[in-house]
Amino acid sequence: MSPWRTLPSGPWADPFRGGWLAAGIGLLLLFPLSSPNAYFIDVFTTGFLLAAFTASWDVIGGIAGQFTLGHALPFGVATYACALLTSVAGWPLPLACAAAVLLAALVGTAMGALSAPLSGPFVALLTLSLGEIAHEVAAGHTFFSGPGGYAWGGEGGIPVTLPWVDAPPLASYYAALCLLCLASFAMLRLSRSRMGLILRAVAGSPITAQASGIPIERFKRMAFTVGSVFAGTAGAGFAVHVGRATATDLSLELSFQAATFAAVGGCGTIVGPVVGALVLHVLLQALSLPPSARVLLYALTLLVTLRFFPGGVVGTVRMAAWRVLRKDGVRPPRAGVGRPEGDGR
Amino acid sequence: MTVLLSAEGIRKSFDGTRVLDGVSFSIAPGEPVGVFGPNGAGKTTLVNILSGLLRPDAGKVSLEGKEITRLSLDARYRLGIARTFQIPHPYPSLLVREAVSVALAANGRGTPEEKGAGDSADGPVEELLARTGLFNQRFVPCSLLSQGCLHRLEFARALACRPKLLILDEVFSALSAADEEDLLALLRKTNGDDGTAFLLVSHNPPLLKSVCQRILVLEEGRIVRERNL
Repeated sequence: MSPWRTLPSGPWADPFRGGWLAAGIGLLLLFPLSSPNAYFIDVFTTGFLLAAFTASWDVIGGIAGQFTLGHALPFGVATYACALLTSVAGWPLPLACAAAVLLAALVGTAMGALSAPLSGPFVALLTLSLGEIAHEVAAGHTFFSGPGGYAWGGEGGIPVTLPWVDAPPLASYYAALCLLCLASFAMLRLSRSRMGLILRAVAGSPITAQASGIPIERFKRMAFTVGSVFAGTAGAGFAVHVGRATATDLSLELSFQAATFAAVGGCGTIVGPVVGALVLHVLLQALSLPPSARVLLYALTLLVTLRFFPGGVVGTVRMAAWRVLRKDGVRPPRAGVGRPEGDGR
Repeated sequence: MTVLLSAEGIRKSFDGTRVLDGVSFSIAPGEPVGVFGPNGAGKTTLVNILSGLLRPDAGKVSLEGKEITRLSLDARYRLGIARTFQIPHPYPSLLVREAVSVALAANGRGTPEEKGAGDSADGPVEELLARTGLFNQRFVPCSLLSQGCLHRLEFARALACRPKLLILDEVFSALSAADEEDLLALLRKTNGDDGTAFLLVSHNPPLLKSVCQRILVLEEGRIVRERNL
C-alpha cells in the first residue's frame, strides 16, 4: 500500500472539479503570447510530455498502488519504436507512433503479468530490474548500423525521421499541451470510473478487495496496461519533439523522476502529478543541474514530501478543504496514517 | 438432506505442524452453524480454507455438489460464499459508500455513479448501508470508522453478493454490547428473511447458542463434538 494514500475523497474534497483546471489550461494557452524565448517554449513543451508521463505513472503507482520503478520502459520502448520504425523501416510517422503505443501497451502488459502476483517493494524491485535491463541494452550496445555506414544506437541514440525539417516551436508547444490535456482527461475519467474505484480498493486493501469478489491480479495487470498506453503516448510525443530516441528514455532516473513528481503533486489524483511534474520540471530546468545532482534532489524531495506532506500538494489542499467544508465535526484522517495490516490469521 | 457446503477430510499443516487433521462436516441451505474451540484449535485456518484464502493440503470443499477447493477467495465470493475478517482491513482512501460499491461492482450490481452523490435512500448501495446502520456514515472515510462500524461495513460488504453462506470469523469479539446486539439482530434477520446460511466462529458459547442450530467443537484440528440445539 502506498504510504500517502489515506486521503478522503468525495464531493467536498475535490477542489479541482471547478474552474481551477480551466484557468490553468487557459494560462498555458496564453503563455506563448507573452513572447517568451524559444528555450522556455521548449522547456514547457518537454514539461507537458513529462507531465503526461508522470500522470501515466500515477495510474499504476498512485491509483492502483503498484509502486513501479520501471515506468521508463514503456516510455522508452515507444521512443525507440518511433525511431526504428521511421528511420530503419521507413514507416510513416503516424503509423510508427500508433505501433509505438501498441508496443508500449504490450510491454506494460508483460510487466503487469510479472508483477501482479507481487506486492509492495517486490513490485518496485522487479520493475526496476526490467527497466534497467532495457536501459543497459540500449546504452551499452551499438546494435545496428544505419545507411551510410555509421553506427546507430548506444548513448547517441537513434534519430526519428520526421516529415518536416524544423517544426515551429509554437506548433510543438500546442501539440504537446493538447496531448497532455487529452491524456489527463482520459486518465481522470478512468480514475473516477468503476475501474478507478476498484483500483483504489486494490491499492488500499488487497485482501478486502479480494474478499469483495475483485480478481485483484487481473486489475493490477489492467493498471499496468492502461498506464503503459499513456506512457507510450507520451513517449511517442517525446520522440517526435526531440527527434531522437536515446538510452536516457529508458533510465531509472526517468522512472524515479515520475514517482517523485507524482508524490509531490499528490499520488492517486492525476491532476497533482501533472501539476507537480510541470512545475518541478520548469524549476529544475531553470536551475540547470547536472544529472547526478538532479537524482539527489529527487531523493531529497521525495523524502521531505513523504515525511511532511504525504498527500502531496493536492492531498494537502484537499485536506484543508475537507477541514473547512466538513460540517459534522468528524476529523479528517491524517494523510499517511493507515490502519495496520494483519488479521491474526 | 440438501447440502449447501461440504468439507471432506480437510488437512492443513504449517511448517510441519498439523493445524487441521481430517475435518469433515456439511452445512444445509439456510442453516446457522457455530464453530467453537480454544485458541490454536484451527478455527481461523478452517475459515480461511472454506473461504478460499488458503488451500488445504488434502481434502475437498464443495458448494452445492461442485468442488471449489481450488477456487480463490474472490471466485468463491462471486459464487455466494462471503466472509468477514476478525480484524477488518478497511480501504484507507475510500468512503464507506465507495467501499460497498466495490463489492457490488464485483457482482455487477450498482455503480459508483448510480445515484450521484448518494443522497437517496434507493439503490443497492444505500439499501445495504441502511440495512447495516451505516447510512449516516456513507460519506465518512473508512479509516475513520469505529470498530463497531467497521464490522457493520464488513457485513455490508459480505451481504453485497447476496450470499448463500456467510462465514463470520470472531466478528463479535471486540464489539460493545450494543454493537453486538445490533449485529446479532442483523444476522438473525439475514438468516430468517433471506435464508442465508452462516458459519459463526466464536469463543463465546452462549452467543453461539443464541443464534445457531448446530455447534461444532474444534480441538487440536479435529471436530471432537457436534451438538444440535
